[in-house]
Amino acid sequence: MWSERARKFLALGLTVALVATLGLSGCARDETEEPDDTGATETIKIGVHTSLTGGLADYGFAAAEALKIAAEDLSGFEVDGVTYDIELVIKDDKGEPAEAPIVAQQLVDEGVVAVIGTLTSGAANAALPIYQAAGIPMISGSATAPDLTEQGFENFFRTCLRDDIQGAALGEWALELGAEKVVVMDDRGDYAVALANEVEEAVDAGGGEVLRQEGQEGEVDFSAQVSNISAFGPDVVIFTGYHREAGLLFKQLTEAGVEAQFMGGDGIKSDLIGEGAGGAENVEGALCTFGGFAQEGMPGFEEFAAKFRDATGEEVGPYAENNYDALGAVVAAMESAGSTDSADIISALFEVEFDGVMGTLAFDEKGDVSVPGGGSGTELVPRFEYTGGTWVYMP
Amino acid sequence: MANPFSRVGEVFGRVPRWVYVAAALVFAIVFPMLESYGLMQTLWLRLGTRTLVYVLLAVGLNLVLGETGLLHLGYVAFFAVGAYSTAILSSPRFDLQWNFWLIMVIAMLLAMLFGFIVGIPSLRLRGDYLAIVTLAFGEIVRMTLNNWEWLTNGPGGIPGIYPPVIFGWVVDQPAEFFYLLLVVVVIVVALVSNIKNSRIGRAWNALREDEIASHHSGVRPTQAKMLAVVMSSGIAGLAGAIFAYYQQFINPTYFLFMQSVIVVCMVVLGGMGSIPGAVLGAVALDATPEIIRQTFTTWLPRAVGSDFLPAVQAALQTDFDRYRMLIFGLVIVLMVIFRPEGLLPNQLWRREVHEEDPREIEHTRQHLFDFEEGRQDLEV
Repeated sequence: MWSERARKFLALGLTVALVATLGLSGCARDETEEPDDTGATETIKIGVHTSLTGGLADYGFAAAEALKIAAEDLSGFEVDGVTYDIELVIKDDKGEPAEAPIVAQQLVDEGVVAVIGTLTSGAANAALPIYQAAGIPMISGSATAPDLTEQGFENFFRTCLRDDIQGAALGEWALELGAEKVVVMDDRGDYAVALANEVEEAVDAGGGEVLRQEGQEGEVDFSAQVSNISAFGPDVVIFTGYHREAGLLFKQLTEAGVEAQFMGGDGIKSDLIGEGAGGAENVEGALCTFGGFAQEGMPGFEEFAAKFRDATGEEVGPYAENNYDALGAVVAAMESAGSTDSADIISALFEVEFDGVMGTLAFDEKGDVSVPGGGSGTELVPRFEYTGGTWVYMP
Repeated sequence: MANPFSRVGEVFGRVPRWVYVAAALVFAIVFPMLESYGLMQTLWLRLGTRTLVYVLLAVGLNLVLGETGLLHLGYVAFFAVGAYSTAILSSPRFDLQWNFWLIMVIAMLLAMLFGFIVGIPSLRLRGDYLAIVTLAFGEIVRMTLNNWEWLTNGPGGIPGIYPPVIFGWVVDQPAEFFYLLLVVVVIVVALVSNIKNSRIGRAWNALREDEIASHHSGVRPTQAKMLAVVMSSGIAGLAGAIFAYYQQFINPTYFLFMQSVIVVCMVVLGGMGSIPGAVLGAVALDATPEIIRQTFTTWLPRAVGSDFLPAVQAALQTDFDRYRMLIFGLVIVLMVIFRPEGLLPNQLWRREVHEEDPREIEHTRQHLFDFEEGRQDLEV
């Protein structure tokens, strides 16, 4: 056998070799293709920063598939006499903010001109400084935290509605239903807490009485909260977390004899909520809002949905159309700026008005989405009711 | 001598240790230059910087886990204390931008204070009480960060952390952070190596080997253990403070229990009680997964053609992370069975885990003989 010194230093030697390989392999750089001569088609790289693994993988899958469809549809646009094809560079941040800067750096290294993403607000906060430093615009279809557009980042845009708008809409809706006592419950996740705070504020402002409760993501037994809630005797219970916990909570509330209207944010807008509740009948009549726009009445939705079904064999996932239009915004900005330079794209995004799957859209001075002539407030928030095992749009 | 590798090993063995240390240092100094000359993507610099943070954590945890032999399962909590010190004192959250040095001192002192508080009940007792208390403390800190919304903004985290200004120099490039961390790592490693070879270090080792015997030889167990816990907490606080500057955004999901476990794995893999081991463990566990992933998803497809093993590519892209912890666990189990002393072991610890091996007994006998003859210093 090896002597102990030999072993020790062999290990050391191997480390040095390993570390050296790390440095050397890093040298393998992109060989950038020389642009072809005039008249030919060029390829432009757009980054997709999403979460294909982790707890929100189904959202990320929908986003990535929608963007593949969008890239195919929008390729062949013309800027300054040159025809461009879109090449997507798709990267996964696992839904972890700690991974987001690494992914952002990879996309910057790849030389993308714009990035569609991130999926979550936490990842957006972690990745934005890097895209900002690189001067690359980032358009998210699903990062809804209000503080993202309040920090003065000039390169951030989104095609979804902010939590404070959705939260206000949810609170107003509860009051519209005649509620006087409202339970607002979150799951201590960043998204649910932000939304719940906004709901609480809206109900408070409208004169309702609020009981704030909290659960944990992944919790299965809500008996402590259920006994608090039934003692309070609410008219409406609003849960701002995700569908798995929502199903269980609503079921346990029903079993405890709480007769209240169940409501939620877009986290519960998954048809699987019935499964979590042990049967769709347990959550029949539940209501929810959505941070996107209503798919019903979108000019291009049917066509998009058909393509999505063809490509994936599944129904359109959450925020898919928001991502599709995020890419549409980038293309429209390049066309209107007459340039594929990132800085020009950013300034054009503030100006441009474009027709997407969701309708005619624009961005306001903070980078939040707005509907020209249609406002940018609670009136844009669509409402849904859970009927017969699926969420049905309420016009 | 039948093994051909032993020849190679002998050659490597004749090279004095400082050569390896110097080689590692030179590599670390040259590494960011590769990026600035365009020889390497910035991604690797970012990963290298993250690895240095883990090196700092592994070296710090080694004091408790390796030198003193106490199981510590909430190390990331002290890291979080440091990170949130920076985030609160240098961000738009309360509109503060305190001096870099002041924040470093506050982060370290705060982390050390928490280390002291955790140590009071658990270190007076013998056995693995520290593991239980630190495990709970890690969760308490995370839940507090998640729920104390006034101070920490809860799960939303604190964005927009200002870059540090050191003597008028604004540190905001990845290469600058790399060098900043490198300097900190070198200072910490130098300090820790000196302590390790001092009276205190020997006392820690003695406690690890036999608490009763060391107590009777004049070591005060509670004080010595407390010192190890407090010092390692300070190092974690320092690492956290710099990490928050580097990330520019933190929220409680950075400080999950799994992070503590990964740092424990790094120390065990590298070799308990061995500083080079802790450094190697951190590099191995933090950088290797990323190198494997890049090899199969980027470099090989680029070299061989994009249809290279599509199944492997897909698996690495989606499933690799799911299995990462499984692989870490397997590696640790294999290490404990076949090489319990770690990759770059500490002499003393290696002899302890192999105390029935006749070669080790012979080695010890020879060493003690040399020591008595005055030919060699006592080996640690």
